[in-house]
This record gives sequence, structure tokens and C-alpha cells, in this order.
Amino acid sequence: MKVNVVSRSGKEIVKGGIHLSDSATVADLQEAINQRTKNFYPERQRLTLPVQPGSKERPVVLSSKKSLKDYCGGSSDNLTLVFKDLGPQVSYRTLFFWEYLGPLIIYPLFYYLPVYKYFGYKGDRVIHPVQTYAMYYWCFHYFKRIMETFFVHRFSHATSPLSNVFRNCAYYWTFGAFIAYYVNHPLYTPVSSDLQMKIGFGFGIICQSANFYCHILLSNLRSPGGSGGYQIPRGFLFNIVTCANYTTEIYQWLGFNIATQTVAGYVFLVVAALIMSNWALAKHRRLRKLFDGKDGRPKYPRRWVILPPFL
Amino acid sequence: MEGSCSLIRRVYLTLYNWAALVGWFQVLYLAVKTLKESGHEGVYDAVERPLLLAQSAAVLEIIRYSFFGMKEALGSAPSWLMWLRYSTFLVLYPTGIASEVGLIYVALPYIQKSEKYCIRMPNKWNFSFDYFYAALLVFGIYVPGGPHMYSYMLKQRKRALSKSKRE
Repeated sequence: MKVNVVSRSGKEIVKGGIHLSDSATVADLQEAINQRTKNFYPERQRLTLPVQPGSKERPVVLSSKKSLKDYCGGSSDNLTLVFKDLGPQVSYRTLFFWEYLGPLIIYPLFYYLPVYKYFGYKGDRVIHPVQTYAMYYWCFHYFKRIMETFFVHRFSHATSPLSNVFRNCAYYWTFGAFIAYYVNHPLYTPVSSDLQMKIGFGFGIICQSANFYCHILLSNLRSPGGSGGYQIPRGFLFNIVTCANYTTEIYQWLGFNIATQTVAGYVFLVVAALIMSNWALAKHRRLRKLFDGKDGRPKYPRRWVILPPFL
Repeated sequence: MEGSCSLIRRVYLTLYNWAALVGWFQVLYLAVKTLKESGHEGVYDAVERPLLLAQSAAVLEIIRYSFFGMKEALGSAPSWLMWLRYSTFLVLYPTGIASEVGLIYVALPYIQKSEKYCIRMPNKWNFSFDYFYAALLVFGIYVPGGPHMYSYMLKQRKRALSKSKRE
């Protein structure tokens, strides 16, 4: 069959199109496009079926595992596909590693090094126990995240755009420095009761453990081959809430903030919760759409999205 | 990515609209206060600075909203309005940005000395705010941000006006 590859403005990306056997897969096509266009490796390619001009529908994205004839519709010897360059890509593991490494290193800098004298605070500082526990808690959290990135998570997409590295690192590293500055400050005021500190960190540790278990359950939904795909999560808190992993993550930050009590920490909690809620809504909707109960597919059960009883 | 874009857009619009409200309210408050205390002659001097700022923004808003109003009511906007919407920024962006940057610059020594709006440590919530450094940060955003926004609007202009020509 002959495949015409055009840009979104209609320009031909590969002159003369690409000729492939009728049983070729989308992955084969992506390899062929890479051969002809040099810079566009498969992970950078987004191939979609053309939409009628003026149609408000989202275009159908081709999945690399499927064969081309699944997308052919009527005529099986001529297919036109729309190409978008997603830009340089990095693996998700690379992205996560760099965004988590920042907080892991930056926070102890504020704890151990005499940085505050550059902010105008002369003299020694007294370190309160809560500040030490907070540093261990924080560093353990990001160490855990890095370990999960390499040994637990199974990603739905192999890669993410390179620009996300800068955007995500800016987010994590800036907030890391922002919180580290206040918690390790020479004029930091610990919470009035020791009990509050213990409840905060204790609750946080419980939620981090629950979060780890959620990640294990999620990773077991996918095969090690890295083929992605979506399944209905089951067991533990997933029976009640779709994105129990985000729920436990939000609550563990709440624990940290109950123990350390800074505006910076609470701001981070709110922003993180908003971002995760956005993701959770998208995931919940995707699962409900995929598991609609028709054609032998199971129906997605009624569940909270992320934060009962609000959402 | 689209999700985070619309979130950023919502946050920006929220902040922008509240800031516009605060700006105009400040003008009204100063106007009324000066009027009561010293009579109408003093009013313009008192409100001049925030007023100039709010006015620049307001002119743009008038054009923007009449454009949207027409589009919603009639299905499309007259081409002269389209032209206005995508051309007035050529003058108003530089004047608006320059006046904002100028105001901040002029106010900086006073901000630093008076320590107004500053929150100092130690406090129960372990928070601090230094208005002087915040103003410097805003300064630092405007200097690259201004030209970037301007070139983005130029690009939008080219796209919008050429599209309407084609129709």
C-alpha cells in the first residue's frame, strides 16, 4: 500500500509517499518515515487520521502496535496520514530523574551549608529537632521517587518532550528551594506542640507507605515489556478512588506541612493537589470511556476521582 | 500539556482581572478620599499614576470586549474592529509596559525604605515577604516578558489579519 504523509497544513512530509506491504504495522511506517526524514525518530512522530475541515472532533492518533490496515477504512491501497513533530524527546525515566534530583540535593544544601549568611543573617543558627526530621523526611521522599522511577513505574508512553525537562525541573527545583529556605531558616518557629510534629510526620510516613503500595499495584497492571495500555485498577484504596496514588501523595505532603507549618509548604501542597487533580480527572474520564461495559468490556465501577468527598 | 496550558490561562486571567479590579478601585478610592479632604483640584494629582496604568489597560479592554461582543452577537466581527483589535496593541503594549516598568522603577527607593507590605520572620507561619525584592522580581519578568508578549502579538496579528483577508 502507499501511505501519504502530510503536515497539518497539507504539505507533503515525505515526497512520493511511502510504499509498504499490506500487513505492515504503524511501527514499520514510523521506521520508514525516520529513514526518509533523518531527524524524526519514531518517538517524535505523531501520526493521525485526517479530520474533516471544521470538524471539532479530536483526531485519531495511530498506535504504533497496530497494523496500518486497521486505520484504512475503505480503500486499502492508499492511506493519507497527518504528521506532527513532537519535538526532541527524552525517556520518562530521564525526565523524572532530573526533576527529582534537584529537591534531593537542594534541600540539604539549606540544612547543612551556611547559606543564610548570604541572605543577611549573621551568626550561628540553632537547629530544632523538627528541622532535622523534616530534612530526612524530605530526602527520603525524593529518594523513594527516584527508586520508583527506575524499579517500579511502568509508563504508558516511552518518552516526553524535552521542553518538559526544563518546565518540570523549574517547578520542582524552585519549590524545593522555596520550602527548604523557610524550614531551615535561622528564625524558623517550630510548631507549639511536639505531638503535632509527631502526628504530622507519622501520618506522612503512613501515607508514603500507602503510596508505595499503590505504585506497586499500578505497575502490576502492565506487563514488563513496556507495552503500556490501561486496565481498571483494583484492590486497596483503588476500590474507592481511581487515583489513590495521587490521594496518598497529597496526604503525605499534608503530613509534612502539619509537622513543619510553613506557608511555602502549604502553597506547594495546594499547587501539587491542583496539578494532580487535573491528571486524575483526565485518567478517570479515560478509564470510564475505555471501560464502557459494551462489547464484552467491563464497565468502570463508580469511584471517587481523587479526593473524597470533594472530587 | 493542553491541560496545564488552560490551567495557566485560568490562573492568569483570574489574577489579571482581580488586579484590574484593584487598580480601578485604587483610583476610585484615591479620587473620593482626595475630594473629601482637599477638594477637586487635588484629585488628578492623587490619582494620576494608578489612573494612567488603568487607562492603558482599559483602552485595550474596550477593543477586546467589543470584538468578542460582536462575535458572539452577530457570529463575526466587522473587519475594522478586527483590525483595531490586532493593531492597537502596537502602541498600547509599549506604552502600558513602559508606564508599569517606569512606575515600579520610580517607586523602588520608597518601597525599600518604608518596608511597606513587608512580612518579617519569625512568625507562627514561617513566612516572609519583601515587597522590594518582589518588585525587583516583577521587573525581571517584564524585561524579557514584554518583548516576548509583543512578538507573540505580532505573530497573532499576522495570522488573524491574513486569515480574514483570505475569507
